Amino acid sequence: MNTKLKISKISKIYPGCIANNNVSLNFESGKIYALLGENGAGKSTLVKILSGVINPDKGQIFLNDKLLKLTSPKDAKNNNIGMVFQHFNLFETLSVFENLSIDSEKNNYQLRILINNILKKYNFKIDLDVPILNLSAGQKQKVEIVRCLIRNPKVLIMDEPTSVLTEQETEDLFLSLKKFSKEGILIIYITHKLKEVLSLCDEVAVMRKGKVVSISRTVDEELSSLANKMIGESLNKIKKMTSNNLSGEQILSVSRLNFNSEDPYEVNLVDINFTLNKGECLGIAGISGNGQNELFQILSGETLSNNGSIKFRSKEISKLNPRERREYLMAFSPEDRISQAAVPSLKIYENVALNNFKTSNFFEKGLFNEKKIKDHSKKILSNFSVNTDNVNLKSQFLSGGNLQKLILGRELITSPELLICFNPTWGLDVGAINYIHQTLVKINEQGKSIILISTDNDELLQLSDRISVINKGKLSKIMSAEEVNPEKLGLLMGGGLVD
Amino acid sequence: MIKIERRDETSNLIYFLTPVLAIFLTLVAGAIIFYLLGFKPSEALKFFFITPISDLYGLSELLVKATPLCLIAIGLSFCFKSNNWNIGAEGQLTFGGIVGGGVALLFYNHEGFYVLPLIILAGAIGGMIFAMIPAILKIYFNTNEILVSLMLVYVSKLLLDYLVVGPWSNPEGFNFPETRQFSDSARLPILFDGLRIHAGIFIALVSVFLAWVVLFKTYLGFQIKVSGLSLKTAKYAGFKGKTMILLVFMVSGACAGLAGVGEITGPIGQLHRMISPEYGFTAIIVAFLGRLNPIGIVFASLIVALTYLGAETAQIFLQVPKYTGQVFQGMILFFLLASDFLLFFRIKFLRFKKYEY
Repeated sequence: MNTKLKISKISKIYPGCIANNNVSLNFESGKIYALLGENGAGKSTLVKILSGVINPDKGQIFLNDKLLKLTSPKDAKNNNIGMVFQHFNLFETLSVFENLSIDSEKNNYQLRILINNILKKYNFKIDLDVPILNLSAGQKQKVEIVRCLIRNPKVLIMDEPTSVLTEQETEDLFLSLKKFSKEGILIIYITHKLKEVLSLCDEVAVMRKGKVVSISRTVDEELSSLANKMIGESLNKIKKMTSNNLSGEQILSVSRLNFNSEDPYEVNLVDINFTLNKGECLGIAGISGNGQNELFQILSGETLSNNGSIKFRSKEISKLNPRERREYLMAFSPEDRISQAAVPSLKIYENVALNNFKTSNFFEKGLFNEKKIKDHSKKILSNFSVNTDNVNLKSQFLSGGNLQKLILGRELITSPELLICFNPTWGLDVGAINYIHQTLVKINEQGKSIILISTDNDELLQLSDRISVINKGKLSKIMSAEEVNPEKLGLLMGGGLVD
Repeated sequence: MIKIERRDETSNLIYFLTPVLAIFLTLVAGAIIFYLLGFKPSEALKFFFITPISDLYGLSELLVKATPLCLIAIGLSFCFKSNNWNIGAEGQLTFGGIVGGGVALLFYNHEGFYVLPLIILAGAIGGMIFAMIPAILKIYFNTNEILVSLMLVYVSKLLLDYLVVGPWSNPEGFNFPETRQFSDSARLPILFDGLRIHAGIFIALVSVFLAWVVLFKTYLGFQIKVSGLSLKTAKYAGFKGKTMILLVFMVSGACAGLAGVGEITGPIGQLHRMISPEYGFTAIIVAFLGRLNPIGIVFASLIVALTYLGAETAQIFLQVPKYTGQVFQGMILFFLLASDFLLFFRIKFLRFKKYEY
């Protein structure tokens, strides 16, 4: 039977951001649809609306011309809409069968027959009685898919399904998806990987900043045209405004850096090499989850890397922890400003004391020098225009922008030679973004170096002298900011170009 | 529909008043239980909470019981504040008692001023070493310290059992499961004639003061606080996480060991099977009732010690089992956790809302 899914004029507005702006899309069974976009383009919001996790402010959803009311994930299930999320919702210590029987109304005997039929039909090789924790990521995903198939879905939505899969597993998945599609299941495939769109899907809708900017057939598209649509043309207008006098003096060198994680949700870093000069800003672009987190942690010393891989002013620092690296005048501003860079329930001056090393003398002979820390904190609050002068305020009462100013101020007031920051303006309002960009430009002009890891391409092009793109834990060739264009950036970010 | 929301901020006053509320609720619930058992609630509660401390001897007993509870809870607060769940203080107490007791037996016919300090030191070190086992296993093998420290309790208790019936049993003791009496120089001095209150209380008070200084005035205390609130931030700030795990377990174990050695050189005077009526477990309640704050712990230890005494008087006057004391301890913890929930969250009652498209 034909299945038609129609999304009509869906809008979802969050404070300070329009996640979905009047989105209308039509899907029909027999085809595989791609929903392509960068982080924050609005894909996930749309998916969550379709699966009943969040309610739209405006708009309607029709399944076979019937208006759907999706107020909870249960409604989506009852309407035969199945979802496979990027992160699995499985109980690790329970067996495959137990996981599948949890939300099924069928009795165990019938259910087992049904599951075995599904496994046989699609040639899935999974032992139903082993605990989930013994399965590979690909097998876990198959369990999630089987969970949807039990309910005879009309629509199957896959949210970034390949991010944890190996190449072989990805191929297997694509074969299965094509089979499902032939059997009349409507498949919506959410991704930011350009190649996958071309090899798997029939039609592609590109989203950017909450809007659908293009709907087309994949046969009419190629990697570069999709890259352009995903990133947008607006980039050409912005060009870097700093032109600094690079002295050519090397500050940091990273060579043959490798990192293998035991956590399947983390990204392995493969042979990272780069150098950074005094007064230079190196931008690292990429779609989030491609190794930025791991790279930041290794550069800051939270995770230690292989010996000899990181040198600061030709001194070996790979085995130093963040506090010891601060002694070398490095400073770090992590992505998670709310729960990592600061503790919300601590007072401002206590959060300032987190950046403590020998020369700051906050703790003389191990004793807390409260007056010194408070004076220092006051200086930060006024120098970096944080809109309070009360150092006893708990930092949870600062707005995002003010908290970020406090954190940058804390890191910068010690005049570090190198600042490593990760998405420093993520989620901030325009005023705060401007202030932080100006601050970063200023410290560049003072001859300090910056590594800017960011998922915001406008920001990267505005601030960086050189740019590299990280994709699946590999760093692309480093380009000067002038030679970067949206197409190139998009191709590199989507993994469409390896050089 | 009921909705549960996180409160924006809780005032410090309420934070320290909820333990008082928890105690009040415990009394109310206790009164109901006594009523259901057929006692007059007011009388039963009087036997439980007033009679035991209505004379000097009772007050001294209160302090005798509160001393080990306070010491152990002080140590535990270092662990709990930094997100390390040491549940095995009872085992560390026992092992400290074994090591300290061993030294005391070594000197059973010696007299001298040096004997007691040696025993106390040995007890502290014993507890410390025993607490290092879960810490080291956690650091190097990522084991769960709750399980390891808990299971080690039984290891040390069985070891004590073996020692007091076997190699260390009193040769003139008619095969009773106990060791020789320690010599007089191996005993903590009694403070007042006729009462059991002993010098161990000073050890507890000094540790309260030291804990307060360390937790609130030093870099170490700051690191413990930050690690407890956010391990991610502690890592980012570059605190030496592994060293700190070891350190807080050592402090905690040393305190429990001191409590153990305080018991055997204080009121008991020898080693036998029951050197502690589960002080190590009860101290967990004391630590939380005192909000992991050294001063709070002093008050909490007095209150919880009273439940031990109350259970004994209730046993005599009301013929109820002494385990009633544990019922009260359990209720205190239960009501404390329940009122904490209201401290951090608020409950909202909402009307059903219709979704409109």
